[in-house]
Amino acid sequence: MSDILGSAVEVLSAACFIAGALLALIGTLGLHRLADTRSRMHAATKPATLGVALCALGAALQLSSTSDVTKVVVIVVLQLVTSPIGAHMLGRAVGNK
Amino acid sequence: MTLAEVPALVMLALAAVVGVARVVRRSSLGDRAVALDTLTAVISCALLIGASRADDGLMLDLAVVLGLMGFLTSVTVARFIESRKDDQ
Repeated sequence: MSDILGSAVEVLSAACFIAGALLALIGTLGLHRLADTRSRMHAATKPATLGVALCALGAALQLSSTSDVTKVVVIVVLQLVTSPIGAHMLGRAVGNK
Repeated sequence: MTLAEVPALVMLALAAVVGVARVVRRSSLGDRAVALDTLTAVISCALLIGASRADDGLMLDLAVVLGLMGFLTSVTVARFIESRKDDQ
């Protein structure tokens, strides 16, 4: 039973890693494809929030020590709080030309 | 240890190359700041995957520091762009 559970956790974490990495790749491709800075910012937000969150979920499923999982939670919360603030400031700086 | 880590890291490496190309190519300062912000997110993802691969807490510390640095960088560049506009 725990064997099945263990492999299910492995598959889930693998899916999270692949999805997060794919989002990062699509986001950086969007930096090239989209037309102006604000659209590019829209592409850049996906790896910055959902990509990091998915990779963090995959890592948290695999890590063995509790303190490491706490650090992962800190990383995700930090990213979720700071990334919109940075994007807001950049958007305001770029927008009012 | 899962098999998915290697393809995920390869995809992240590709993403990093594409992001660096965006920074190096001739583009505006704001575009470069956005691309560098994305690059820090890509590196964070890679550090998280590496941490789970090695089961090592050190890379997580690096990812925390990188997240803070990325935020400070984009805020600083945004303020710089604002102040440069005021001068003109």
